[in-house]
Amino acid sequence: MKFSVNWLREFIELPSSVEELAELLTLAGIEIEGIEKRGANFDKVVVAQIIASSQHPNADRLSVCQVDDGSGQPRQIVCGAKNYKVGDKVPLALPGAVLVKDLKIKPSKLRGVESQGMLCSPSELGLSTESDGLLILSPDAKIGEPIASLFPDDTILDVEITPNRGDLLSHFGLAREIAALDAKHLVAASVSEADRLPPVTAAATIAISAPSECPFYSARRIENVTVGPSPDWLRAKLDAVGIRAINNIVDIANFVMLEIGQPMHAFDADKVKSRINVRLAKENEEFLALDGKTYSLGADNLVIADDSTVIGIAGVMGGEDSGVTETTRNVVLESAYFRPGSVRRTARKLNLPTDASYRFERGVDPGMILRASQRATELIQELAAGKPATEIATAGELPIPPKDVSLRYERCNRLIGLPIPKERVDQILEGFGLKKTRTSEDETSWSIPSFRSDLQREADLIEEVVRVFGIERMPVSDRSRFTPSSVADRLHDLEAELRLKLSARGLNEARTSKLIPRTSPAFNENAIQLRNPLNEDHVALRPSLIGGLLGALERNIRAGAESIAFFELGRVFIPPDGREERRLAFVFWGSTKSAVNWKTEKMKFDFFDVKGAIESTTNRTLSFDRSQHPNLALAVLIHNEDDEIGIAGQLSASIASKIGATSGVFVAEVVPDFPLGPIRSGLTFREFGKFPAIKRDISLIAAETLTHERIIKEMWVAAADSPLTTIQFFDLFRGTAENSLGAGKKSLAYTLTYRDKTRTLTNDEITVVHAKIRERLQRELGVELRE
Amino acid sequence: MNRDVSTSLDMTGEETPPLEKLRGDALAQITGAADERALEEVRVRFLGRSGSVSEWGEKMKSLPKAEKPIVGKLLNEVRRAITEALDARTQEFRTNQESAALESIDISLPGTPHERGTLHPLTQILDRAIGIFRRMGFALAEGPDVETEWHCFDALNTAPDHPARNEQDTFFLPDGRVLRTHTSTVQIRTMESAPPPIRVIAPGAAFRRDEVDATHSAQFHQIEGLYVDEGVSVADLKGTLEFFLRELFGADSQVRFRPHYFPFTEPSFEIDVKSKALKGGEKWLEVCGCGMVHPAVFEEVNKVRKDQAYDPEKWSGFAFGLGMDRLAMILFGVPDLRLFAGNDLRFLKQFA
Repeated sequence: MKFSVNWLREFIELPSSVEELAELLTLAGIEIEGIEKRGANFDKVVVAQIIASSQHPNADRLSVCQVDDGSGQPRQIVCGAKNYKVGDKVPLALPGAVLVKDLKIKPSKLRGVESQGMLCSPSELGLSTESDGLLILSPDAKIGEPIASLFPDDTILDVEITPNRGDLLSHFGLAREIAALDAKHLVAASVSEADRLPPVTAAATIAISAPSECPFYSARRIENVTVGPSPDWLRAKLDAVGIRAINNIVDIANFVMLEIGQPMHAFDADKVKSRINVRLAKENEEFLALDGKTYSLGADNLVIADDSTVIGIAGVMGGEDSGVTETTRNVVLESAYFRPGSVRRTARKLNLPTDASYRFERGVDPGMILRASQRATELIQELAAGKPATEIATAGELPIPPKDVSLRYERCNRLIGLPIPKERVDQILEGFGLKKTRTSEDETSWSIPSFRSDLQREADLIEEVVRVFGIERMPVSDRSRFTPSSVADRLHDLEAELRLKLSARGLNEARTSKLIPRTSPAFNENAIQLRNPLNEDHVALRPSLIGGLLGALERNIRAGAESIAFFELGRVFIPPDGREERRLAFVFWGSTKSAVNWKTEKMKFDFFDVKGAIESTTNRTLSFDRSQHPNLALAVLIHNEDDEIGIAGQLSASIASKIGATSGVFVAEVVPDFPLGPIRSGLTFREFGKFPAIKRDISLIAAETLTHERIIKEMWVAAADSPLTTIQFFDLFRGTAENSLGAGKKSLAYTLTYRDKTRTLTNDEITVVHAKIRERLQRELGVELRE
Repeated sequence: MNRDVSTSLDMTGEETPPLEKLRGDALAQITGAADERALEEVRVRFLGRSGSVSEWGEKMKSLPKAEKPIVGKLLNEVRRAITEALDARTQEFRTNQESAALESIDISLPGTPHERGTLHPLTQILDRAIGIFRRMGFALAEGPDVETEWHCFDALNTAPDHPARNEQDTFFLPDGRVLRTHTSTVQIRTMESAPPPIRVIAPGAAFRRDEVDATHSAQFHQIEGLYVDEGVSVADLKGTLEFFLRELFGADSQVRFRPHYFPFTEPSFEIDVKSKALKGGEKWLEVCGCGMVHPAVFEEVNKVRKDQAYDPEKWSGFAFGLGMDRLAMILFGVPDLRLFAGNDLRFLKQFA
């Protein structure tokens, strides 16, 4: 909310500088979001009246005005504006005046006509950023008066009021808080004097049909009002805090809200056809509000109605048809207490937050409802010559005052960690208007003022003590404690380790959004949709990491990247119930090296890069089996023994081309292998062979269709009970019609390592085993062995 | 022959004795050899099967028994001297040759590029923050991203009509569950599953239905903290978070607590940091919300636990929430939040 410092000063003596005030509020938890200086404090700018105006003889766009500046001598000014008429009062900058942007005014000739000063627009006086014509002053402005007295200096504070502090949403309310924080005396606002209230009677003209939503309603009839523009002081006050002036009646209602926090509404009494009924709307009941829009209401929306129709949405907005206009003669002034929850529900549902709903939602001060009514009535008498009814008509009961809250000094000290003298605690609470109602050895009871319904329990009182005493004066302590690690700790460590390993291998970690767009390239089928997405970019929960990574890939390809190797470790949401699961995914595209390597030739990523990446993350032996997938041209299911742990493959060209990838895109997603047991499996020492190994190669030519897996399987079978320890594949050469091998064939080469843990092997015995393996390959697979 | 030999042994004679001469000649020729081939010729000349040294070995057989050891010793010395000189000269040739070969390498050529992978800057700051809290004895805790409304709001003292319960800013699933709007849900999850004392941090994502711009995103990252024990006070809260922020931002950074409002803590604070070392750090930067756990939160937890484990009369605690995206922006000088979710390699590689 915006506060005028000048306005606050009407209620309290403020710290000398605004910065000091801002600091005081900020450190008390009332955050200042902006400070703006206002006013037109210029020397030699005065109120002048235009007494004559004629066309400039040499310029179509200019006029020559004679103005009365109060000196008794008419003054001639050349003026380019068109928005005035003779008789208007306007600001006149006299020679010697210096306006905004250092604009110096001196006598001059414009197209041959003398001009002794300048008539000013709002922007030339720094009052507005718009500049359309002269600033037309009120007819009441005194000719010759310095403009600074009409637009005095002011500072506007933009203050963030937390939702628990509805009592601060008015100038009087904030001043009251400053008084408590700064131990300053609050100037009793006339509004707070209860003895000025007129008689209050329960009236048959008001009915509350929904007392749980509206416990109390008051209406005061004021007759024979003269609706017209508000005086300058009122318009200036509203303008200062960003409220547009409408007419004196509406402005007074707004003024009272800004002054003391009670939202008010004025109905045109002649358009209210019968008694007022505060009721719930009928389902689909339509209502034309003051903003010119028609709202369809529901049975949980509280409305103000007469016998025939709705005239206002309670606490939110009045009706277009019953609003106060220039022709209004009699008004009904509403001041009521609507339940916060009810107003909140309605304002949310209709998406119609207003200054009134904002305050009702946070709870208005029951103690101010009738005083606000009286304050507004007095102003209407004064500014619109209205004749108020002698009584305020009411229905219902004011909400009961907040319950007493007890406070234990010892508890307060313990929670703060510092003993604060009892007297200081009492003084602080009394400063906020609390009164001690009961006191025993260590415990006290406090009555809570009607405007502080947020103070409900001991902790709330302790907070007030902390705020005033000052958090900066609280001690600092260190109470470290041994804490055993949790499953979440172990998971974090495993994740961190995996991330480090992968990045050390040259992969880049991506973190993509868990919320995915409506249109996504792939892998987001069946994703759980949000019920209320805000835009097309965040409509569903990712069921896979690959979709997001493809998005990152696309952006990087478009940005000109040539080598892209991403991994991501994060949660996905499995449809249809949204079970959350950790996944590890990879995307590879383009060159295997991000920088040009002048020593080795450029290579492109292929399927084996993604396969190798997955294999590098586990000590287990995984199996890879061909499968089908709608998004993949090459789809491979990954198994750890019988468990399917993920998928890998090459993106189909149609999807790849959509994201701008001209060569193969390789993707994989697996459930990461996170051994959570007490001891990490596979990480126990195994004796390594002390005796020398013998290595023998096998080179063979096979049909293209024969797999590596088949070949090594046969080798292991043939080598059963032999000292064969490893088989290392080291060369592949694929035949084509052009080369000597010929199409449909391939040449493969393996190194077999033989080693016995207990003795040195002889060449002769290995020759025997090796021959057995060669023979089996030939016999079982029909391969051609090469020497 | 005897004379010859004795003459050769005469070290004092004016003429150089033959073995000494032999040594001198050999060493001179070794030094004079122009290349390895010439050196090999020298080796053959002196140490070869019919070389000078070998000849002397033959001659020695005919010497008197008494002289044999003397001459033998001398001969060995000469042989060793020649061998050592040959080895040294060979080494010299090899070294020169090697240097000459390597001389032609342009060492100013770029080093072989090693792929430098990167950890996402958010991962890096999360890890740093977690490391600091772990040093203070916090364990990690986890909770789901998809939450019940109860965990997200009601249990945190934010009833349906509460002004802070902003459904407008909350993403809903079709089944009525929500994407958690803060990681404070993990406070509830943790207390539901274990009695006090509790000392945990919970890093994780949270979601807000907010228009995306340089400082707002639909998904953001927090570290939630919760400490419940006997006698936990505002002083502990201050001590813990001041320590954390000074560790993260440097010992000379200033930390300021401001009272604030959160429904689930009372009293509540926001924390600002100021440090000249940070971009924009000459002003107070808001980095954390925190407070003493509201007794109503304990009471709500007790209701679902169906016990009095979190008796607010016995236990007190503090909780905090750190905006990690914001901390990363401050620490790394990142101007726009959207860069984190963009995963542009030009961005990520800056944090390698």
